[in-house]
Amino acid sequence: MWINYLKIAFRNLIKHKLYALINILGLAIGIASFILIWLYIIDELSYDRYHEDAKNTYRLVNVYDFEGVGENSASSPFPVAWTLKNDYPDMVQNVTRVFNRQAPRTLIDNEFVSYNERHFFFADSTFFQIFDHEFIMGDPNTALDEINSVVMTESTARRYFKDENPMGKTIRLEKMLDLKVTGVIKDVPHNSHFTFDFMASLSTMRKPYGGQLPKTWVWNPCWTYLVLKEGTPKTLEKSFPAFIDKYFYDAEKENVTLYLQPLTDIHLKSKLDYEIEPNSNITYIKILGVIAVFLLIIAIINYINLATATSAGRAYEIGIKKVFGAFRSQLVYQFLMESVILSLLALFVSLFIIELLLPHLNNFSGKELQIGILIQPAYAAILMMIGIGTGLLAGLYPALYLSVFNPIMALNNKLSKATKGGLGRKALVVIQFVISIVLIIITLHIYKQVNYFKNADTGFDKENIVILPISGTTISRAYEPFKEELLQNPNILSVTAMDDMLGVAHNTHEFRPEGFPEDKWSFYPALVIRYDFLETFGIKLVAGRDYNEEMKTDPEKGMLINESMVKHVGWKSNEEAIGKKFRSLQGEERVIGVIADFNATSLHESAGPFVLNIKETPGVIAFFLKYVAIKVADQNKEETIAFIESKWNEKEQGRPFEYNWFEQELAQLYNDEEVLGDLSLILTAIIIFIAALGLYGLVSFMAAQRTREIGIRKVFGAEQGSIMVLLSVEFMKLVGIAILIAWPLSYLLIDEWLNYFAYQMNIDTLSFLIGALAAFAIAMLITNSRAYIVARTNPVNTLKYE
Amino acid sequence: MIKTVNLTKVFRTDEVETTALNNINIEIKKGEFVAVMGPSGCGKSTLLNILGLLDTPTKGDFYFLDENVAGYSERQRARLRKHNIGFVFQNFNLIDQLNVFENVELPLIYLRMSAKERKEKVHEALETMQIAHRVKHYPNQLSGGQQQRVAVARAVVSKPHFILADEPTGNLDSKHGDEVMRLLSGLNEKGTTIIMVTHSQRDAEYSHRIIHLFDGQVLSENVK
Repeated sequence: MWINYLKIAFRNLIKHKLYALINILGLAIGIASFILIWLYIIDELSYDRYHEDAKNTYRLVNVYDFEGVGENSASSPFPVAWTLKNDYPDMVQNVTRVFNRQAPRTLIDNEFVSYNERHFFFADSTFFQIFDHEFIMGDPNTALDEINSVVMTESTARRYFKDENPMGKTIRLEKMLDLKVTGVIKDVPHNSHFTFDFMASLSTMRKPYGGQLPKTWVWNPCWTYLVLKEGTPKTLEKSFPAFIDKYFYDAEKENVTLYLQPLTDIHLKSKLDYEIEPNSNITYIKILGVIAVFLLIIAIINYINLATATSAGRAYEIGIKKVFGAFRSQLVYQFLMESVILSLLALFVSLFIIELLLPHLNNFSGKELQIGILIQPAYAAILMMIGIGTGLLAGLYPALYLSVFNPIMALNNKLSKATKGGLGRKALVVIQFVISIVLIIITLHIYKQVNYFKNADTGFDKENIVILPISGTTISRAYEPFKEELLQNPNILSVTAMDDMLGVAHNTHEFRPEGFPEDKWSFYPALVIRYDFLETFGIKLVAGRDYNEEMKTDPEKGMLINESMVKHVGWKSNEEAIGKKFRSLQGEERVIGVIADFNATSLHESAGPFVLNIKETPGVIAFFLKYVAIKVADQNKEETIAFIESKWNEKEQGRPFEYNWFEQELAQLYNDEEVLGDLSLILTAIIIFIAALGLYGLVSFMAAQRTREIGIRKVFGAEQGSIMVLLSVEFMKLVGIAILIAWPLSYLLIDEWLNYFAYQMNIDTLSFLIGALAAFAIAMLITNSRAYIVARTNPVNTLKYE
Repeated sequence: MIKTVNLTKVFRTDEVETTALNNINIEIKKGEFVAVMGPSGCGKSTLLNILGLLDTPTKGDFYFLDENVAGYSERQRARLRKHNIGFVFQNFNLIDQLNVFENVELPLIYLRMSAKERKEKVHEALETMQIAHRVKHYPNQLSGGQQQRVAVARAVVSKPHFILADEPTGNLDSKHGDEVMRLLSGLNEKGTTIIMVTHSQRDAEYSHRIIHLFDGQVLSENVK
């Protein structure tokens, strides 16, 4: 019996090659895309879970809220970690701090090579007890015990030492300190919320800080991780207010809250200030998941549509089987089996497609997804379930539908009425079009929003500005002479410096504006800058004046605030703000100018009060300055860069020259959205392709069914055009219905998505029209390409054997 | 009005070459009623398809209303066809999804006639065929005879010069068959040229002339 089923199944596939091809290809592409997205999502969900203690590990988050201004800091003050461990020993089992000197680059060299390293960190010796990394050499328990010791990754070790054994050898940090290599680990897995190439002992930093690590509870540069005893996080969080009261400064106590963030939540759910690396976004993972399911649904819909549509051709077989005693259940089994065979075949084909596409997906997403994971029993089982499940789901409707055929009607070929049925089939086509249109509209909006971000007026210029990272460099200690030399070049228009990347990140500084109560200190977002900042970035001054090098008191006494700050404090006009006092930790400063609002971070956030400040003493200036920004002329850029590089090399012997265009730094803020846009574009294309494939199959079939009618119409004078209209008009109606459903649906989804951004583009009506027109065009193209062939058929051939 | 000169039709498949019509020379004048007879496979239907401008000859000339149409394109033939020829088939070839009125209306739609004009003409044709009372019925609700009367109505509704009938009574009992033949005969008396393929001697009696085909050649032409 089963052999017979199998035989018929395969012969049917061969007999209906076109339908079989469309079915298998459609399903295979659907399954392949589904699995690819699934692999991607598995990977996104796997972040930081490979540490044995992952589920008991938390990061401490500091919220500083001064009436709406302040920060949500991913990092904490130095003393917090070990104080917590001491005060709550029964809950806090282990702690570690991770610190990067707040320097975007770290110069490392040895006798062979030197690099500006982006992933250099310091940590407590407990780091490798909490975070599991595979040691190739060295001992995780003791590697960071000594000062001046460093653990590096395998590939980093190779960069510095080639094939030599790096253990015990030294590398030099910022040309100041020699660090001894005490361990080599495998490269940090990509599914870690931060990547490091070096991890040095935090105790090393005691010396630069004068013998001990900073004891301040204000400066908060340490990412602080705690391993808690199971079940204690809630209790620990309850004791935070008392902890804050005991240790934090009076001026900020009221405004600080601490909370615990599970380690495994960081990658997908954390969007704090001072993240080590930008994180992903759970919303986007959900969107992808939904699209993946849509893809599979569309592929299954295709299958159902084609299977029921072609069922008329099977009527004769069913009739004969019934006449000779087949039970309905046997026929159901037979059809289900065919469907499962087909979907398993599609699954098989999809594996090839995945193998083919995975390198591209990896390339594009920066991941290291591997098809090998699918061989693991758990995944293989799920894969089989997808294959068989899709087959069953897709086969159930046709199976039940076909098996009820009355044998007499079936044998007399009176099924044309029955198979025309198709209300269900039409509904499925409508669903496919709805999904396609919604995705087109949403994809267009994602792109438009990214574009909007990139081109939005953020309140400062983005073009032709070169950024040099300078923390720890000679230049940071002798910035003014460097600037003077740069300005000798007529193509260099203006030079300034800052402590964080404008438009990307900023610190917060403690101030008490005039008129606020004595104990009322606030942390305001601020950038430490150098002269000519407004000019370099084209920021508008709306009242007062800019910093002026002639005014000797400016560095100590002068500050610039923005219009939002004027409103925040409650001054009536920008002019009124001029001369007002702000208490700072260093004394008292006066407002010398008010600037127009600009977006100090990404457009996900709205602009708020902001302070620009110049530091006075050389040591402090050197500590703060992390970037030089150089406005260059539009022409001769290459020569200008070469000039900057030559000046750099004069000052920084042995430190590699590195520069970035400001515009590109800013564009990275919207990487998430850009990747999402690209992914959804690709997926939309795939979905449309699958839907189109299905539509082609369906139109072919319907045309075949109407062959006789078309023949008759042609005999009585119908021309090709009218036949094509006849065949496509029905689908056009379905597209019309789909548009009516897709429009409001897209509107709701886009509205929801845009709410996530502080700055939103308007919903774009043109995209709605494009979505609709695209659907019409696709349907038209497909139905007409098929209808054209049918309409050309000579009726003599189609009417002959009637 | 219709004239063929050495009209030949050859069907080719990969392996076999079949000569369906071999040097046919016939002439049919306006107002004639011609029956084409012969055994199965003699080329009757092929001849009718070519005369009906549904198919093209492989060789030879075909004068339709004094125009040589042998080399005409599908589009040109379709133009000539819809203005000049009505078809009646053995199996009626009504469209199941359309009702009686809509089936008869079909040729007029393709002639781009106005709705009002179509309505008049369809009703006139249905009256003539005595089937006007079934105007809202669908083909499967009608008897075979009624279906063929609808088919004839459809063939004549556009007042074509020719009616080509392919075994019009083949699927009907003798009573209904005679009925249809009387209708065709009546149309012929009013001036329509009729060419009819048939197996039935009895039906052939209605014609003025019988062309006998055998193996793709004209065997004889009997003028009565």
